[in-house]
Amino acid sequence: MTKVFTDGLSFALPLLIMAVGAIYSEKSGVTNLAIEGFQGFGAFIGALAAILVMPYFAKSSQVPIYIAMIFAAVGGGVYACLHALLCINFKANQVISGVVVNILAVALTTFFTSAANTALTGTASNKFILGVSNRYSIPLLSDIPVIGGLFKKMYPFEWIIIGLVVVFWYLMYKTRYGMRLRACGENPQALDAAGGDVVKTRWIAVIISGALSGIGGICFAYSIMANFSPSIYMGYGYLAIAAMIFGNWNIPATVVVCLVFGLAKAGGQQMCIAMKLPGNYTDLFNMLPYVLTMLLLIFFSKRNHPPQASGQPWDQSRR
Amino acid sequence: MKENKRKGLAGLLTSDRWSNVTVSVLAIILMLATSSVILLIMGKNPLTAFRSFLQGCGFLPKAKYGGGSGMLSDLFDYLNILAPMLLAAVAFIVAFKTGLFNIGISGQMLLSGFMATILVGYMKELSPWIAKPLVILIGIATGGLLGALIGFLKYKFNIHEVVSTIMVNYIISFTTGFFINTRYVDMLTRSSRICSTASRLTWTKVNIGGVNCNVPLGIVIAIIGAVLVKFIFDKTVFGFELKAVGTSRKCAGYIGVNVGRSIVLSMAFSGIFAGLAGVTYYLGYTNTMVPKTLPGMGYDSIAVALLGNSSPLGAIFASVIVTIFQSGANYMSSSIGVAKEIASLITGILLLFAACGEYMKILGRRKIEKEEDKKIAAMQEARVKGGADK
Repeated sequence: MTKVFTDGLSFALPLLIMAVGAIYSEKSGVTNLAIEGFQGFGAFIGALAAILVMPYFAKSSQVPIYIAMIFAAVGGGVYACLHALLCINFKANQVISGVVVNILAVALTTFFTSAANTALTGTASNKFILGVSNRYSIPLLSDIPVIGGLFKKMYPFEWIIIGLVVVFWYLMYKTRYGMRLRACGENPQALDAAGGDVVKTRWIAVIISGALSGIGGICFAYSIMANFSPSIYMGYGYLAIAAMIFGNWNIPATVVVCLVFGLAKAGGQQMCIAMKLPGNYTDLFNMLPYVLTMLLLIFFSKRNHPPQASGQPWDQSRR
Repeated sequence: MKENKRKGLAGLLTSDRWSNVTVSVLAIILMLATSSVILLIMGKNPLTAFRSFLQGCGFLPKAKYGGGSGMLSDLFDYLNILAPMLLAAVAFIVAFKTGLFNIGISGQMLLSGFMATILVGYMKELSPWIAKPLVILIGIATGGLLGALIGFLKYKFNIHEVVSTIMVNYIISFTTGFFINTRYVDMLTRSSRICSTASRLTWTKVNIGGVNCNVPLGIVIAIIGAVLVKFIFDKTVFGFELKAVGTSRKCAGYIGVNVGRSIVLSMAFSGIFAGLAGVTYYLGYTNTMVPKTLPGMGYDSIAVALLGNSSPLGAIFASVIVTIFQSGANYMSSSIGVAKEIASLITGILLLFAACGEYMKILGRRKIEKEEDKKIAAMQEARVKGGADK
């Protein structure tokens, strides 16, 4: 039972930070299907940085992980500029731009991972071996029965993510920039009339979105995968988008949705182990979050309120 | 036209007749330039690389051939992969014209290929005359039903088709992977057992002019399909209704089009082509399925559709070009030693430039406007001068 909570949380939180990234972009009026590409590219830059600095640290040192996280955020943010440029300045179709950015991310990272491996080690492998981050338990809280499992064996990045989500929740709902950002997605003309800069607001939002997705990606690479390889494109970015839609573009609601996803996935896996089913059956349980999303969307999509201007390029001359 | 010629590139970009072609050609030129730079940085000669891409597809003769193969066999292998690519691109176009994004082409391909493989591919005693049409029918039925389901979810429950298709993609990938792994796996190759030759949509080892060729039936289906879609969109009421829904859902509703029905039918129609792409891919180009792997072609076809300016005939030309890089990658990789992943990188770059098409048109228009402004300013200046002289 505790394993359901620990595994569930370590899946839910990286998903959550990507979903928050997606919310930032969409709330500013830029439809973002590119989360999958952002997280993969961010994780690639982070993993590359980690591989490069690893020789300078002791073998069990945890410092490269934090360096990787910083670089993943930077990498994701820089890569997000491509999506921002296409959607905001070039006025491309935002759904198409998202798909393009994803395809390009897969191609770029696969190509350059083998190129970098050839240059560094001489073997054309498409993987960066990273290892798994250490886990820590919280002394007092983890002794609580049942829900204590939530505080057992946590990855340090889970705390970082929780902190970041709180910061970005505050930024969106309690600050001047957040107010402008939300206005930008609902009615950019109003923001423009009030003296705000729509283009600048959207650029910042998309870059934030890329940086947060990059962090989510590197966290997956350091926990579930234990390496960086093209298998990082497992569709978690899309799952984050589904979580965002299901959470109605609202950060607190999305937190709950991500937790449900994480617990469903971990619960399915533990059930599979508990029932002593052969390994092939894990595929059926891995499917669970996706099936759950579909079913929940059927019940909740009608009431959805997406940002009004999302998907429309900004045109100052329109009313 | 004469007017346009004088204005050069900007004129071509804005003229009604040529702008779409110009944008695609410009995207290809930019792609060639960018990938040449990448190849130069890697220390390879881009011209040799591009030539070996063409050699790999049978457009140019290779230095030497193995026994029983020749330029013609390479060309037929190229056509073999061109067929599903074109069908998948047409599938995307049908939905796109109705204002829908069928991102689920991969999943629809996978499921229809899977259904056809287990229902027909493993029945050894069927004659090819029954098996082949049956495979095609199963492809159409599976893809169509799956597409209709997505359309229904969109119309009835307001679920965005991009999200639902992506979810369905992963559900299909895991389910078919599960069944292949538990029931149909070939222990040696770790993928599904091969399907019977009778059911395959490609005739293997046909001797043409002394070389063995794999002759695809799919390419015929694909070209008929592309022409059929063009006919439907240009000449029929049904096609017009779909286009009307794609342009403005509200407006189409006001003129009396049943929008819900159009959405469901369009997705079903799109699914049919994706299903055909699936059977020509899994029971034509290959004869086995790798478990838990979505075909990347489902996404590449979006590139093809974009480059072909989402017109079925444009898609034929675009798929011919994109497939060269996909199909020639192996030979290019072995002959000049660049990782074959560069093929998907090149496709990605091409996609990127194709997506900028709208911006290129804007730039062209802006340039012409500027020139006209200059002309007007010059005229005004002349008039002012003339007035001063008087």
